[in-house]
Amino acid sequence: MKSTKISSVRNVGIGLLALLAILPLVYGQRPQPSGRSGPASRDALAPRSEPARAPEQRSPAMVDRSNHGNIRHVDTHVVQRSAEVPHRFEQHQQILVHHDVEVDIQRPQFWHSFDFGARRHSLREGCFPLWVSGLPYYYDDGIYYQQAGDDYQEVYPPVGAIVQALPDGAIAIDVGNLTYYYAGGAFYVQQNGGFIIAAAPMGVTVPELPPGAVQISVNGGVAYQFNGIYYQPMFVNGVTQYMTFTP
Amino acid sequence: MTLENTRQTQAQMKITNRMIIRATHCLRPAFTGALVGLVAMSALAADMAKPAVVKPAIAPQADQWLRRMSDYLAQAQFFSVNAEVWQDVQLASGQRVQAGRTIDLQVRRPNRFHAAVHSTRRNRDLYYDGKSITLLNRVQNFYGSISAPASLDEALDAASERFGMALPLEDLIVSDPYKSAMAKVTAGIHLGPVTVLGVPCEHLAFSLGLVDWQIWIEQGARPVPRKIVITYKDEEGTPEYTAILSNWDFQTKLPDFLFAFEPPTGSTKISVAEIKSKNEAHKNGVK
Repeated sequence: MKSTKISSVRNVGIGLLALLAILPLVYGQRPQPSGRSGPASRDALAPRSEPARAPEQRSPAMVDRSNHGNIRHVDTHVVQRSAEVPHRFEQHQQILVHHDVEVDIQRPQFWHSFDFGARRHSLREGCFPLWVSGLPYYYDDGIYYQQAGDDYQEVYPPVGAIVQALPDGAIAIDVGNLTYYYAGGAFYVQQNGGFIIAAAPMGVTVPELPPGAVQISVNGGVAYQFNGIYYQPMFVNGVTQYMTFTP
Repeated sequence: MTLENTRQTQAQMKITNRMIIRATHCLRPAFTGALVGLVAMSALAADMAKPAVVKPAIAPQADQWLRRMSDYLAQAQFFSVNAEVWQDVQLASGQRVQAGRTIDLQVRRPNRFHAAVHSTRRNRDLYYDGKSITLLNRVQNFYGSISAPASLDEALDAASERFGMALPLEDLIVSDPYKSAMAKVTAGIHLGPVTVLGVPCEHLAFSLGLVDWQIWIEQGARPVPRKIVITYKDEEGTPEYTAILSNWDFQTKLPDFLFAFEPPTGSTKISVAEIKSKNEAHKNGVK
């Protein structure tokens, strides 16, 4: 009887030993959450002097938050966002700067001074001539001129004009698979290594009106008009922007 | 078959049976042991099948201070506070600058909110009266309204997720600031006492992984936040948002008219664009 008991205990022991032998093999295959190879589970739970690393780290410049300043909606990202195109002489050519809609920073551009019909006796250095639909123009960083007697007169950006570089401060706007670049009331698209002024797409929002846009009334509401393009003010991301529309 | 043959067969059967019984008796504990082992392995396998959950590493003191602040704000039926906000901006040239603005905030629980946001070229107000959120652009005299749920928390979520706008200082407005702020936190530490504009505070730092945030909570009987910094490590240049909070007021009553929007003279109503969010796309790492 005694020998039977001893035998039973021995057999149970053999079963458990076999199980214990298997366990390390099984645990060895379990992924460690923090990438450690050792037994780190206790460390992971204990407060540490440095914050734990996130399970996954993505490269920067992927996020286009409309707002900064909150934790609750830190992962809320909106689809409709425009981005400022980098300065043409800037090294960081891949950066499209998405400005927080709340940010109030004055970024004066040369084309902000556009004044339809204004005359100049001379043009700046770097201004270059171009032809559009058989007519001669002069172009200088977002502003177009035509000869008027001995002067040069500021005119609206002509559709079809091709320039080699975008005006400073141009805003990239995605419409379907096409990217428009908006500056000074003109919508450019990339073409053969340059940029051509295209007809304005309807239903897109721009963060600011072209300089000299005129306020009008359309169907009892406020709208703006510039070079035959109509803009309707609306709140986008909580701030006022302007949507192109056909009255 | 003879009688003797029958007896021999019966005797052999008895021997065989006895051997089977003995063998079964001997092996039963081994079977039991193996069975116990199999059950244990099944439990382990089920445990391993679950995704590994990493419990946030939150220092107890950081947790306690944040809870104190949260409880204090949550139990306040109304309050007002001023904030000066400074925010990093990276220009297209690559240069980094800061933009500032001020926020005057009034909250009355459970469903009233007003914020006036001022900067050099912008001046706007946001009203929430339990039924709608109204935006007022004071510079151009435009306003627009959207219907909103009946509670502050739901209204904040609707404003963010449907209309792409975050109401100022919303983390302090929600009904349970602790729960809201800690929902995605992966780590939190207590950095000890620090003075913010002459006010003794406790400095806490938390991380969401790709976004870090810090908060300075006033010591003493009124544990209100005095400073908040959010660092966006997933954006170019890791920009920071800083809010300095002052003039906390839990005494002055806030009547209804503060939260009720009245269109200013000559103002024009414009639409508010509803914008789809791509939260899930971002969470899944889609650009």
